[in-house]
Amino acid sequence: MNELAAGPTEGEPKTIADGIERQLDPRWIPVQRILAAIPTVIVAGVSFVFVMSLWTASGLLLLGLLLLPVWATLMAALAWQLQRWPAISYRFSSYRVDQAGIEIRHGVYWRTITNLPRSRVQHTDVSQGPLERRYGLGTLVVYTAGTAHSKVTVSGLDFDVARRIRAHLLPGDHSDAV
Amino acid sequence: MWRGAFVRTCCPVTTAMPSEHRLHPASILFALGGNLKAFALPAVVLLLTSLRSSPAPAAGPGRGPAGWMNRWMPGDIEIANWQFWLLLFLVPAIIVAITRYFSFRLRYEGTELVIRSGIFFRNERHVPYVRIQNLDAVRNVAHRLLGVTEVRVETGGGQAPEATISVLHETVFEEMRRRIFEGRAALSEAGVAEPVESARDLPALESRTLLHLPLRELLLQGVLDNRGMILIGAAYGLLWEAGLFRGMWDRVANGWYGPGLIRDTIGRIAAGGPLPSGQIGVLLVGIVGLLALVRIVSMIWSVLRLYEFRLARVGEDLRTEYGLLTRVTATIPLRRLQTLTIRETPLQRLVKRMSVHVETAGGLGAHEAGPKKPRESLAPIVRRSAVPTLVGELLPGFDIEGLDWHPLHSRAFSRALKPAFLIGIAMTLPFFGMFGWRAILVLPFSLTWMTVVAWKQVERTQWTVTDDAVVFRSGWLWRNVTIAPVVKIQTVECTESPFDRRAVMAGVRVDTAGASERSHKVAIPYLPRETARALHERLSAQAAQTMFRW
Repeated sequence: MNELAAGPTEGEPKTIADGIERQLDPRWIPVQRILAAIPTVIVAGVSFVFVMSLWTASGLLLLGLLLLPVWATLMAALAWQLQRWPAISYRFSSYRVDQAGIEIRHGVYWRTITNLPRSRVQHTDVSQGPLERRYGLGTLVVYTAGTAHSKVTVSGLDFDVARRIRAHLLPGDHSDAV
Repeated sequence: MWRGAFVRTCCPVTTAMPSEHRLHPASILFALGGNLKAFALPAVVLLLTSLRSSPAPAAGPGRGPAGWMNRWMPGDIEIANWQFWLLLFLVPAIIVAITRYFSFRLRYEGTELVIRSGIFFRNERHVPYVRIQNLDAVRNVAHRLLGVTEVRVETGGGQAPEATISVLHETVFEEMRRRIFEGRAALSEAGVAEPVESARDLPALESRTLLHLPLRELLLQGVLDNRGMILIGAAYGLLWEAGLFRGMWDRVANGWYGPGLIRDTIGRIAAGGPLPSGQIGVLLVGIVGLLALVRIVSMIWSVLRLYEFRLARVGEDLRTEYGLLTRVTATIPLRRLQTLTIRETPLQRLVKRMSVHVETAGGLGAHEAGPKKPRESLAPIVRRSAVPTLVGELLPGFDIEGLDWHPLHSRAFSRALKPAFLIGIAMTLPFFGMFGWRAILVLPFSLTWMTVVAWKQVERTQWTVTDDAVVFRSGWLWRNVTIAPVVKIQTVECTESPFDRRAVMAGVRVDTAGASERSHKVAIPYLPRETARALHERLSAQAAQTMFRW
């Protein structure tokens, strides 16, 4: 519950469009960890079967004694990396909403700042998967008329925050769409 | 059953509203023709294979429909019954074509185009005029003989044309064009939807030719363009597949030509000893002949495709017309231009020509294979001296000559050198496969070349930003200048790779609608980080202040 208090939902200002740079919701980290655990388990399972069949096929006892520790180390490294990665990624992800539009920063090694003017929003989605629903999170997807970034996604927002950003981004008057 | 459907759907014709239009009766023929074309290639392959593999037909004069057909065919071609039954696949297509013809209705309402089709599954599509990105008409020889045209209506965002209407009578299309574009002009001026009573009452808009290509320019375009290479390559591949070359080459080249000639010749030269002069001669003659043939085919193709090319400004729209056999008329509203790219190839530079391309938001699917054609460039060949005027016409108030270009970061060259070296090394790898370790001698040449390329490219890559647009140019041998108006910018991105960070650099990318995979985009690399951030801020602020109007 400590996590909740640290979230940006606390002490909410009147408007979301205040031009302050915000972190994602910290609950995003456990969600990403759970999501990362799934491929870890799959990779570990498949590679374990592979190693075991290699061992039995070769018929060498020594090979198994050599391979199994290697496998275990690799898997442990993979699991550790995938578990710590969300926290690192979290530190480098932020967003900022103001009257002009939304600015999204993400990427640990390859860092990107994407600016999406409000007047270029075609439509928006706020979606929530089962895991996100349990943690009260939502994913905001903003569509533009562009090609490379016809879809700009911000995941790991508090569900209410996502909806408020959506409400802010959606064009109020409809004359500008054409 | 069929008759009944005919009668029922026939009736609305008499009660049709005066502004309602139907397809031209020839549309059934064209729909069938399209299907037959899809059948033609498999059929030819089938015939060729049966010709080669079985000179003696097994069954003799077949019974059933195939036997009847075989009486009409040349003696050594035998059609089996199953081959004949393949034609039955055409039956659904025929039914679809006929239903489409009888159910199709086109109607103009105050602000939109209404297309109704289907008998059992009725479909009524409303396309607002203001959403239409461009309107193309394609007329091939058959269309022109019958005085009809195929029409494509494209709106933004869709992968395929919003509506492909095949085929309409020419006068119907003329009216459609007038209604769509002039109805829209009336709309945007008045600001309210007032239905245009009759398009014929409107005065014809003045038309001003911006570019007209005489025959000489078309031939030149053929020489500069290497489209002939693709055509010859395709034809050669097809004929090779059919095995028709086997005997011919033997006779023509006296056995000099055969698979592996090039590899063989290079191998002998590399191995030292007497030079294989005969082989080298054949190779050179072959290369020169092929190049000449490619250019001639290109010239013919260029004349056929671009005959009487005319780019004109009609009111607020651009209209291009071209083609000798297939006549294409494309209409693009001027304010629908998303980005504009000026290209210059090394050959074009020799004769002081350039080409101008535009991206529109409509018809992204036009690049897919099939009967849809890729959009022809707005000005396939234009004198370099005429480019500024043309650009000024396309983007009013934009002066391409008065720009002050900014270079990249002063250390951009040392950054660009590293990937260039990797490419240089990759280029030499095939030589290692051929000659073993001796190929290491090639490495200095490829690395020197890549150094020159990197140096020249960094030198030529420049950018600038004005109040209305961001302009990016790049390339040394093949040069591109892309202008993205601020109004058309969708998102602005500032990117920083780990290498960028070490060198305190960053890049800026601009996303626009309608850019295809291959198009030259505004993506400026190797900028000083401060400059990149400032440019990013400036562009996103500028974009936010403007309203995007498709």
